[in-house]
Parts: sequence; structure tokens; C-alpha cells
Amino acid sequence: MHVILIVEDDDAIQSVLRMLFETNGFRVVLAGTAARGEINAKLHKPDIVVVDLGLPDDDGVNLIGQIRSWSPVPIIVLSARTAERQRLTAFETGADDYVLKPFSSPELLARTRAMVRRHVRGILPMGVLKIGAVSIDMSRRVALDERGQEVRMTPLEHRILESLVRHLGRIVTHAALIREVWGPNCNDARALRVYIGSLRRKLEADPSRPKHILTELGIGYRLVLDAAYEPVRALH
Amino acid sequence: MYKGGADSSARIDAGAPSPAPVTNRRGGPLVAFKQQLRGYAAAFAVTALCTGVAFPVYPSFNITNIAMLYLLGTAWVALRHGRGPALCMSVVNILLLDYLFIPPLFSFEIEDLPYTFTLVVMLAVAVIIAHLVVSIQRHRERAEISAARMAALYALSRELSGALDAAGMATVAVRHISDTFHATAELVLADAADGAGLEAVRRVLASGGRCVADSIYEPLRGSRDLQGVLVVHPRGGAAALSAEQLQWLATLAAPLALALERAQSAAAAQTAQIASEQAHMRNTLLASISHDLRTPLAAIAGAGSLIALSDSGLDRDRRRTLGHLIERKARDMTQLVSNILKFAEIESQQARLETDWQAVDELIEHSLRGNEAALSGRRIAISVPADLPLILAEATLIVQIMNNLLQNAAKYTPPGTRIEISARVDGDSMLIVVDDDGPGLPFDDPERVFEKFQRGRNEDSIVGAGLGLAICRAAARLHGGDIRAAESSAGGARFELRLPVRMQPQAVGAALGAGA
Repeated sequence: MHVILIVEDDDAIQSVLRMLFETNGFRVVLAGTAARGEINAKLHKPDIVVVDLGLPDDDGVNLIGQIRSWSPVPIIVLSARTAERQRLTAFETGADDYVLKPFSSPELLARTRAMVRRHVRGILPMGVLKIGAVSIDMSRRVALDERGQEVRMTPLEHRILESLVRHLGRIVTHAALIREVWGPNCNDARALRVYIGSLRRKLEADPSRPKHILTELGIGYRLVLDAAYEPVRALH
Repeated sequence: MYKGGADSSARIDAGAPSPAPVTNRRGGPLVAFKQQLRGYAAAFAVTALCTGVAFPVYPSFNITNIAMLYLLGTAWVALRHGRGPALCMSVVNILLLDYLFIPPLFSFEIEDLPYTFTLVVMLAVAVIIAHLVVSIQRHRERAEISAARMAALYALSRELSGALDAAGMATVAVRHISDTFHATAELVLADAADGAGLEAVRRVLASGGRCVADSIYEPLRGSRDLQGVLVVHPRGGAAALSAEQLQWLATLAAPLALALERAQSAAAAQTAQIASEQAHMRNTLLASISHDLRTPLAAIAGAGSLIALSDSGLDRDRRRTLGHLIERKARDMTQLVSNILKFAEIESQQARLETDWQAVDELIEHSLRGNEAALSGRRIAISVPADLPLILAEATLIVQIMNNLLQNAAKYTPPGTRIEISARVDGDSMLIVVDDDGPGLPFDDPERVFEKFQRGRNEDSIVGAGLGLAICRAAARLHGGDIRAAESSAGGARFELRLPVRMQPQAVGAALGAGA
């Protein structure tokens, strides 16, 4: 049974979350403050942490930083803060995902499960990956569509895909993607958009309504393999 | 003094900037000297001419006629060249008359005493003529100066009335004063944030001096209180301005002070009007929001309490229906609240665009994903070319526009409606169109849908304060674009969002080439 630490000060949301996760096979540990959250994180060694950013004693971002300084545990931010700047800060501090309030329970559950699975299973092996109808042999860098025709990808497109695969199911920020693909001295987020567009045209059944390479507006991209994965909600 | 007069007439000619007084002074005496020299030369020439005419006809003309001829010459010289040459000429004339025409000839002696009288009268007449001519000229110059000043004052008043606010007036006044007095001028406004500056100026004025340390402080007194102070630093120091010019500065200050006062009261009136409009708007908004928030809240509270009832006997399906209802109503409210917040932000004019390069297809994709549930049952068609340029925009605002358009389409069209979203470049703008084949717009004038608190149909079941499209328009305009409504070719509603496409960054062009 996976242990989930929920750091949230609102009683109603606390009890909804507790109910949601307990009925879905998690052992729930609660904390109402950042200080309590840090203690419980050390005490219970959770498999995943859900953090609200607006905590009574401290900013949740600081708690993320503290936990991240000693643990690789996946952290999901659950917050009503919509500003891109604030969300980016959370990612840069070490958050792995960001769910906006008001959240949908199935979506939060799906994201939590994906995160725990990824964390437990470790980094994806360099085997064959199926994105929609396209099968990609990551180590040989060969992609075939459903009829066995080769889907040609440029080396840069391949590197972007590898980077997304490494963080499968999680958001990769623009900056991180660019760093991993182009190196540390490049910061052209606009070129990235163009390459993502061409990747989508090659991998997605309907490039204008992608199901696998998803945009997290103003933050980055997320690769999703299973169709059952609930989409993120529009920014409000 | 003629020179001073000429000088000041040149300086108040506001239209054509004349050379600065310093250079004037350096070049002035030389020019004046040359002019005077020319005057004396002319005087001698006229004397010679008169003598040349008179000598051959003497003695058939008598001496009185010859004296008249000389007087005529003197009058002409006085008219053209001023007093100095004329006086000098009259003395020479008398000597010549005496030497050449009065017996004994070729001697300064005078035989007949009456001739002495003639000469004295002639000298007196010449002097009087010279004085008269000069004073007439000075009068004319004064009149010209004052006409020029009136014109300048008129120009200033006209420009002041054209200025929109106190700051505009200050700019006009400073430019005008700088031109007129060849000085650096500044205007310290009484209601400016820089109260310390005004305080310092006030102290200077209180100490009694207008001219302090090469600067002139001209108070701008309105009908009620001090509107500000005009500080003039003439390039030649405060002493470079004559008393007359100081007087003129005070004259210019009067309309300026009144204009500033007028601007201040106009600004106050406008503030009051805006405040009253805002109060009215707030009330309408509150009433509308209150209704639109209470309706879904009632549903949520009702459904929640029904589920909580231990002996309600609800089966699984009914409980699920209620759960979905609660979620749907909560989402409606979320969108409404977010519209209200955005509205407040845009209306308070504190909306600062945080733009970045955005791919239109990503914005559309994001909005569609967020509204999947609301749009269920509608057939969605998207047509976005692959090579669409990026736009410089704030993602959340464009998504909000798209959300509102899509939710509108969902609210006002029956299931089965086809909704088409397309984007293309049209001229120098990006045209994003949301088109449906539903029942169409309820108004004859499509523009009305963008008015605040305007709702398509008066159905209370449809949530929304009527803010959605008003926000779309405000957000589009913040980006330098606009949004228009029209009837679609299929008879439904059509919304055209137009956003400017700016110069594409170099790297994208290169990447487009590589990625294609």
C-alpha cells in the first residue's frame, strides 16, 4: 500500500482528499501546516506528496524545496494559484506536477497513480514505446506506424521525444526541455514550439487535438501514453 | 531706445526663432554701426544732390526756395535713416547754404541779418522734423510689437485650449516661453507629485524676489490659489530681460494660470463622473453576479444535502447524477468567478500583458481540452494550417477568450451542432474563427453581444453574468486586436478574433525550415 502525504490546511478539501485516496488503496497521512508536513514527510517516508501552496505558516514552495533537498519523492502541487510565474516557480523548486483547484477527483487520482508508478518503476527502459499508432524503438531510434511504414524523425525531434519519455506522465518545463535537447546555452522557447508541432504531426492521429504530447500552457509539455489518462483542465 | 525696441520685437516673434540675445549683442553693434554709416552716407549724398540741383538755378530761385529744397532732403533722410543723419545733415545744409548761396558768396559771413533768422528757423524746423519722424516711427514699432505680442498671446491661448490636461498645457507653455524669451523654462505644478520642488519655489517667492540667482520665478495665480510657478532661466542671466519683458512674462502667466485651473477642475469633474459610472457598474455587476452565483450554489447545496440525507433512499445511479450535477455547477461557477476576476483586472486598467510567443494551435488545443465536457455532443472541426506563425500574446487571456467562445457555443446551441474552429493569417493579423450552425445570434446588431451584462436569451438556467464576450473584446483589444460577431454561412453564430502578427523571430523561421 502506497503512503500519500497530503499537506492542505482546508478541512473540507482535506476530508475529500482523504476519502478519495483511502477508497483507492492509499494510506493517507495528513498535515495542516508546512512545519507538520516536513515532520510527517520525514516520519512516514511517503511514496508521494500532495502540497497546497497557500499554507498558514509558510509558502508551500518552501516546503517543496525542503523536501526536495533530501528526498526524490514525487510532489504534486494542488493549488488555486493560476499565474504562470507561480506555477513555474513551483516546478523550478522541484514539483513534479501541478493540479489546479478546483480539481477533478478522477484526474488527481490518475496523475497521482501515474506518478507513483513511475517513481516505483524507475526510469523507463530504452525499449519499444507505443505512442498512439506509432511504435518507437527508443534505443535504435526507429519509428514505425501501424502499417509498418517508417515515420522519419529528425535527430532533434528524437531528442525532444527522449526527453519527454524520461519524464513520462510528468510536466517537463520549456527550460528543462531546451536544456536537455539543445544544451545549457540556448533559450529559444519558440523553436521548441515548432519542433513540438512537427512531432505532433508525425505521432498524433489528430495533431490539432493531441492526445499524447500535451501542452501545459506557459509551463511546458507532458507525454502521456495511455488514453485513459485524464486531460488537464483549462487554465482559469 | 530704438535698439532695445527692435531687439524685443525680434524676441517676441514666437513663430520664427531668432538668434539668441547673446549672439545678437555680439553682432548687434556692428550691424547698427554699418546702418548708421549708411545713413550718414545717404545724408551726404542727398545734401550733394540738393546742392547740385540748387546751384545751377541760383539766383533765379531765391534762397527761401533753396532752403525748402534742403528741408525736403532732411525730411526724407529723417524718414529713412533716423535722427542722427538728419540732424547732422541739417547742420551741413545750413553751412552750405550760408557758404554757397547767402551773400557774400563763398564765405560764411552773412551780410543781411534776416538771413541769419532764415538759417536758425531752418535748423529748428529740421530738428523738429527729425524728432517727429523718429517718434512716429517709435510709435509704429510699439504698435507692431504689441500686435506681435497679441498674436503670441492668442497663439498661446489657442494652444493651451487645445491641450488635454495640465501636463499638456505645461508642455505648451514651457515651449512657448522658451521660444519667446530665449530661455530654459520649467513649470512646477502645484498638484505635482514633486511637492518639494514647489515648496522651494514658494519659499523663493515668499522671500519677495522674482529674480533670484539668474532665474525668474513667475507665480501662476489662478482665481482660487497658486496653480504653479513658472521658472525661467534666460541664457544671458536674469538681467538679460528688460523690465518690459518681465511685464510681458507676467502677462503670459495670467492665461496660463487660468488654463491650468480649468484643467484641474475638468480633471476633478471627470474623476467624479468616472466614480459615479463605476458605482453604477458595480451595482449592476453585483446584482448580476449575486444571481449567477446563487443559482448554481443552490443546486450544489440542494444536491449535497440530498446525498447527505441518511434515509433519502437514493440509489447508486441517482447519487452519481447528483455528484455530477454538483461538479458541473461548481465548474460553471469557476468559469464565472474567473471571468469576474479578469473583468475586474481589465476594468481597473491594471491588466499588464505578460506576453510570450504562443502557438495558436496549442492555445486552441488547451481550450478544447478544458471544455471537453461542456462541448460533448457537438461536432468539433478544427482547421489550423501547420505553418501558422506564432503570435506574441498572453496565453491565459487568449485561452480565456477561446473558453468563453466555446462555452458560449455550448450554452446557446443544441447537441449535434457543428462547431468549427479555424485559424489563418489574414493580412498582417491572425484570424481565429469560431463558427457554428446553431440558432445564431439573438440580436439584429451583432455588436450588442459584446456589451456588458448583455445575455443572449433571458433564460435563468443559463449561467453567466453576460461578461464573457465583453471580456473577450477587452482582452482582444489589450493585445491590439479585436473580436467581431457575425452570422455564419450556415445561419449560426460566427466570432472572428483578430490578433496582430508581429515580425517572426529569426530562430523560428530557421526551425520552420528544419522541421518541415
